[in-house]
Amino acid sequence: MASRTSPLRSIGRAATPLLWIGPAIALIAVVVLWPVVVMIQSSFQRIGGEGYVVGYNGLDNFRTLFHEPYLSGVLLRTLVWTVGVVVVTMLISLALAQLFNQRFPGRRVARWALIIPWACSVMMTALIFRWALDRSAGVINVFLHDLGLVKLGSNHADWLGNPHWAMFWMMLVAVFVSLPFSTYAILSGLQGIPGDVYEAASLDGATSWRSYRHVTLPLLRPAILVATLINIINVFNSFPIIWEMTKGGPGYQTSTTTTYMVAIKQGNVGESASLSVINFALVIVIVIVYLATTKWKEQVDA
Amino acid sequence: MKHKLTGRVAGAIALATATALALTGCGGSSSSGSGSDTLKLVVADYGTGPDNASSKFWQGIVDDFEKANPDIKVKVTSIPWTNFDQQVQTMVQNKQFPDITEGDYFSNYAQDGLLYKASDVLSKPDNLLPAFKDQGSYNGEQYGMPWTTSSRTLFYNKKIFADAGISDAPKTWADLQADAAKIKAKGETGFGLPLGAEEAQAESLLWMLGAGGGYQTDGKYTIDSAANVTAFTFLKNLVKAGDTEPNPGTVNRTDLWQQFAQGKVGMINGSPALIPIIQKAGVLQDSDWASVPIVGQNGPLDTTLGVCDNVAAFNANGHQAQIKKFLDFAYQDKYQLAFDKEYDLLPATTSAADALASDPIFGPFLTALPKSIQYPSDTSWANVKTKIQQTIGTAVTGDPKQVLGQLQQTATSAS
Repeated sequence: MASRTSPLRSIGRAATPLLWIGPAIALIAVVVLWPVVVMIQSSFQRIGGEGYVVGYNGLDNFRTLFHEPYLSGVLLRTLVWTVGVVVVTMLISLALAQLFNQRFPGRRVARWALIIPWACSVMMTALIFRWALDRSAGVINVFLHDLGLVKLGSNHADWLGNPHWAMFWMMLVAVFVSLPFSTYAILSGLQGIPGDVYEAASLDGATSWRSYRHVTLPLLRPAILVATLINIINVFNSFPIIWEMTKGGPGYQTSTTTTYMVAIKQGNVGESASLSVINFALVIVIVIVYLATTKWKEQVDA
Repeated sequence: MKHKLTGRVAGAIALATATALALTGCGGSSSSGSGSDTLKLVVADYGTGPDNASSKFWQGIVDDFEKANPDIKVKVTSIPWTNFDQQVQTMVQNKQFPDITEGDYFSNYAQDGLLYKASDVLSKPDNLLPAFKDQGSYNGEQYGMPWTTSSRTLFYNKKIFADAGISDAPKTWADLQADAAKIKAKGETGFGLPLGAEEAQAESLLWMLGAGGGYQTDGKYTIDSAANVTAFTFLKNLVKAGDTEPNPGTVNRTDLWQQFAQGKVGMINGSPALIPIIQKAGVLQDSDWASVPIVGQNGPLDTTLGVCDNVAAFNANGHQAQIKKFLDFAYQDKYQLAFDKEYDLLPATTSAADALASDPIFGPFLTALPKSIQYPSDTSWANVKTKIQQTIGTAVTGDPKQVLGQLQQTATSAS
């Protein structure tokens, strides 16, 4: 008797979770996996100037891409951009989180204020900085002019026209918009550290710097790990800041792989798709290397 | 009761009339075979708002045309420029062919045999400006018919010139450099050089022409020719001396044209489209600026960059006779001139160009138009153009020879 009903019932029981996770799986399949398939497919296709798919052309897109004289510069810049922005963001976030973990009058307002760069659209922030850096009327330039540091309308005041200075300002904006998330991630980590460990440390005679290095930082590792990882992916893929402020120009001299990919798409969709595939692979490699070196499993499980 | 009766009587009369008309063949012919005599006219929208929308302009022509030809109806569809190419492609892919399009023109439609030749749908195809014939031709036959054109001249600010003690417009590169230096000394931008991604391919070509170069020679890319390197070496020195705005490789045309309109730039290469910008800014009076031929290395050029938008006639609906009637009607000088006045563009027919040649504002643009140079029209141009837009600006800060060489490499490996 029991054996007759149990297969059906056990299938039903096994399928019940599907009911709950099904929509999520469908969403991921349609929104995440399918575009990946199309991306890989396009990287092997010849696509005409008007967007028509002409046919498959094997590895030609990759070959064209690797022969681009600008590619090595773009890759190197992507490395500087990602490492620079993430390291600076994390260092400032650690300090900011420490500050916001203290009790001080107006802390609530200060914490709210930190959310603003996060709440604003990144494109808008980038636009505001672009205008603020305008060579003849930008507010930053007017300020620097009043301090006697730059002359309005001069070559020097045209920050975004000079590739090196443009990179500096764009990295500054990238740090600015990345700070809130990292700071809050670390702040929540800080709040999870029980007070008695500090008590024990001070009983052992640890200075505050020592207790920060040997108590706080180790206990913060999971939070720092997650924040760094998410930052790496975000900054590596960051598009709106560079696109709004310089479009990667002149001559790709301020392009990272993400903006370079969009720039070459206007002329050659297939080649752009092949760079997209490489970008995708790079992110996966970076994440695996990072997780392996930080032994994340021990950290997070512990 | 009475109402219903009159209604019925009226209906019966209408029916009878229709039948009679159909029998006598007066009610619009059905000879085309497709069962419909409505021409589908698809145009790009040149307007900046509802007041000067292109649909309104074309409807004006259509109303006149339908009055003169009551047996042919024309339905106007206007599409914003940004979607034009894509929507026409969709119509063709779905086999909902338009009869006539006006806007961008694709030679692949001619290649696929979808278009009527110009000589099939125009009584006087020779009246189209010959300079633009090659661009619309496939296998020696013209399919793309220029509808409106535009060309470049040098605009200069007479007020700034007077302040800087310059009496005449520049004729040679040496003049231009000397004038730009004097203007710079007065604190304004001497020469506006937009080599940013927006339209670097246009500005670059004008300077190449000035040295006797260009993108192609006899249909082959020669981007790194000696003449072109000379042109960019000159520009590099101009930039180094501070006679242009800072970092031209990052500055776009739209922004610089605005600055010229604000009276902040001494000289700039422009098209008729700059005129409404100057007028709208309200800083310069008509007498404060003038436009002269493009400055070349050794003297003013008798040629310039010319661009055109085209009419194409699709053959899928078999409306050749009706299309011919409509195009002959629409290509009259008065509509050509009205269109160009409305949108600050130039005519595309010889007769209309002649009629406008003495116009004080448009005259200078027209003199060089018949000898104008066009962009390359081969299939690799789209890719080459993108690369030029994105990288040629670095030729005035880096090594001109190297930058142009890389572009040449892209162009030749793509084709």
